[in-house]
Order: sequence, then C-alpha cells, then structure tokens
Amino acid sequence: MIEIDRVSQTFQTSGRQSHLALSQISLTIEDGAFVAILGPSGCGKSTLLYIVGGFVSPTEGVARMKGKPIAGPGPDRGPVFQEFALFPWKTVLGNVMYGPRQQGVKSAEAEAQSRQLIEMVGLKGFEDFYPKELSGGMKQRVALARTLAYHPAVLLMDEPFGALDAHTRTRLQNDLLNIWERDRKTVLFVTHSVDEAVFLSDKVVVMTRAPGRIKEIVDINLPRPRRRADLLLDPRYQKYVVEIERMIDDTSEDGLRP
Amino acid sequence: MTMVRTLISRLAPLLACLGLLGIWQVAALVLNTDSFPTALEALRAVPSILGDKESLINIGASLRRMAIAFSVALVVSIPLGLMMGRSRLVASFFNPLLMITYPVPKAALMPIIMLWLGVGDIAKMLVIFLGVSLPVIYHSLQGAKAVEEKMLWSGAAMGLSAPQRMIRIVLPAALPEILTGCRTGLVLALITMVTSEMIARQSGAGNILFNSLDMGQYDTVYAMIIIIGAMGIGIDAAFEKLRARLVRWSEPGFDLPLSFA
Repeated sequence: MIEIDRVSQTFQTSGRQSHLALSQISLTIEDGAFVAILGPSGCGKSTLLYIVGGFVSPTEGVARMKGKPIAGPGPDRGPVFQEFALFPWKTVLGNVMYGPRQQGVKSAEAEAQSRQLIEMVGLKGFEDFYPKELSGGMKQRVALARTLAYHPAVLLMDEPFGALDAHTRTRLQNDLLNIWERDRKTVLFVTHSVDEAVFLSDKVVVMTRAPGRIKEIVDINLPRPRRRADLLLDPRYQKYVVEIERMIDDTSEDGLRP
Repeated sequence: MTMVRTLISRLAPLLACLGLLGIWQVAALVLNTDSFPTALEALRAVPSILGDKESLINIGASLRRMAIAFSVALVVSIPLGLMMGRSRLVASFFNPLLMITYPVPKAALMPIIMLWLGVGDIAKMLVIFLGVSLPVIYHSLQGAKAVEEKMLWSGAAMGLSAPQRMIRIVLPAALPEILTGCRTGLVLALITMVTSEMIARQSGAGNILFNSLDMGQYDTVYAMIIIIGAMGIGIDAAFEKLRARLVRWSEPGFDLPLSFA
C-alpha cells in the first residue's frame, strides 16, 4: 500500500521565485490497484509520481510505502518514462538483464528470464538490437521489460505512451493490460488522456491545473479483462469519459481565471 | 560508370597527396633556393632518417613521452570532467582554474616549467599533459552534463549507488563525447610534443628537426616534417578506428529505426 500524506512540492524557478507544483495531496493506493493520475500538463502529476519513486523529495508531507517513509529510489518501485531512458550502449537483452544482474541474479538465469520477458513484450528476435535501431513503440516495450525484469511491487508509469502515435499507443495499452492481468502489480499511471485513463484503470485521480490539487477520484467500475473494442461501445465507459472530461474542462477554466 | 566513380573517390586522397607533392616539386625547381628542397629530395631523406639508429631512438623517446603524458592526462581529466559535469560544486571549484589556463599557449609555460623541472622528460611530459587535459576535460564535462536524468533514475531504481551510476551510466553514456575530446587531445599531444622539444632541445623528433635547421640540412628538415605529419595521420587513424569500435552503438548511419510497433 502506498500512502501519500499531505504532500506539497515547491520548485525554485529562475529569478528566485518559487513555484508551487503540488499542494496538499493525500492519496492512498491499494496493493494491486491500477490507478491513473490524470490532469492537464503542468499540474504536477509527474512530480507526484517522482515523489513516490523517491527521485524527488517533497517539500512538505510524506509518502509511505508499506508504512515506511520513502527516502529514495528502490527496486520495489520500477519507473517507465515517456523518454524510455534506455541505456543506448546496451542491446535489448543487455538493457533487460541490467536490473536482475544488479540484484545479483546469476548471468545465465538473468538471461533466460530476460529472454522470456522480451518475448512477452513481443520483441522476440530483437534481443541483439541496439536502442537506436528501434522505433519508439519498440523502445517503450524494452523499457517495460527492463523494469519488469527486477520484479518491482509497483510500476510507476510516467506518460509512457505519450510520445507514440495513436495506433502504436493502442497496441501498447492492450499489451500492458494483458501483462498486468497476469500478476496484477500495483500500477501508478500518469497520463493526460482521459480515454487512456478510463480504459486502463480501476481508479482515476483527476487533478487541477497548477498548483496541482486532487479535484476528484473516480472509481471505474468496468469489468475485466477489458477489450478496447467492447468498451468503446459500452455506455458506462462513455459516461465515465464524458464525466471526467467535464471535470477537466472546469479545471482548465479555473486556470485561466486571472 | 559507378565503378569508375568509386575508384576515383577511393583514390582521391592519394591523388591529392600526389598533386601537392607535384606542386611542391615544381615550386622548388622554379624558386631554386637552398632553403627549399624539392619534394623528391625531401622524400629521399626520409629513409635515411628512418634508417639511422640515433634518429629512431630520438623519435622513440618522443613517442614514449607522448604516450605517457597522454595516458596520464586521460586518467586525470576524464574523471575530473565527468565530476564537473555532474556536480555544480566541483564545477564551480575547477572552472576558474580552467578558464585561466585555457587561453594560455601551453608552450608559453615551457620556460617556467624548465626553470622548475629542468629540460628532461618530466618538463616535456608536463607540457603535453597540459595540452591534452583541457579538451578532454571539456568534452567529458559536456558529455556528463548531457546524460539524461531519467537514465540515472532508472539506474537508481535498480539499486545502483551514486558512485556506481557515475561509472556504469555516466561514463558509458558520455563515452562518444569523451572520445571526441581524446581525439582532439591526441593531435594536441603531438603538437605540444614537438614544440616542447623545440624549446628544450635534448632529444626527440623536434630536436632532430631544429638541429638540422641550425645546420642548414634543409632536406632533413622537410623530411622530418613529413615524418611527423605521417605519424599524426597514423596515430589519428588508429585512434579513430578504436573510437568507432567503442561507440558503434551511437554512430549515425547505424540509425535505421524499424517500422514495427
């Protein structure tokens, strides 16, 4: 379980001004839940994810994982970034093996597991390719496999499909759900796409424009396993999307008010 | 037709060299002064230098000094540059020092260094060291600075400590940039090597060059310039081959994204 307890984040901008990115966020994420954090750009939703990852420490408040305050990054929380952040000097296999090797898994065993994961994300045959030789969608598949390889309890996904074209994004969303159905890890998924948030999640946390506050938390009661083609026709799905889109419209206007 | 074209492009460097030698030959014949030997005379002097044991010892001593100074410079400059690129504290400490030394011609320091350390190997290697260090530090710094934050975060999540991230992420990620600096440094090492021997004449390739100049052996002077130039080309080509091997993963041309989701 992850608890975010009255977390605020202030950044120093140039000219000694401070920018309040997050204001008094409290949120609890149950084990095994797929939670989307949704909001307009600049609302601090990625910052919230980085705080849970331990990459950024909050100015105020505390984030806890299994009751313990988060003090830094750790292999129990695996990030997947929009920018992929693969190691370009390593092959696909080398990237995926990196985490397990770091954890002290024997080379042969790490390789066998990694090959399996690479196959699972649909990249069999590309083990010896370098990241440079891959398309964006393939890179993100490698990044996902690389993170899954060290068995984090929580996946922290930072707009992972944001840089991909619509078709590729849809395919990766489907594949991510299929993978998630197998072991139901806790997933914290940052996105600005309402559609994506509703399709994937159990819970959508809607945030306001900066300073980021939680506007509302919407439980998505749609059956699983979900299939995109079925959902698009489902009135419940459509209702969620419209409802959340309206909330976002409101927050946008809030932001525009002088 | 295409075969002829590839043949010409392959032979182009050779043709350029031959052309240059031709112009030299004609110019020397036309001017006809003692201090400007013809290309043929200069080339004829090359084997006699390379066949002379004394000269070979001198050139060997030069190369040895250059190799040692270059290696020491890399061992010092790469870690320093990487740390400057990742830590504002380290950068603000060393930056003023570098800004002062950067524009000073390293050979201009030679008289002071000779006063302190004499005219031996140490003084010359120190000058080469200084010449090599700056471009290597600068490029290492730039390379380390450009490393994506998220790449380091990914490493941290896997359990890499800060020193491990420095060695296992920042170093390889910055390697293409570091090697660019090393290549510049290598050429500068050759230049400072010759200059140092020109000022502190005692042994070395530069020593042969300037001694023969004093003695009016102009064909030897030109031959020595040819030899030093050839050494430069050879060393640079060898390094470039090594560089291309080490950073094959980052080379453009290797960049052929496949269309597959």
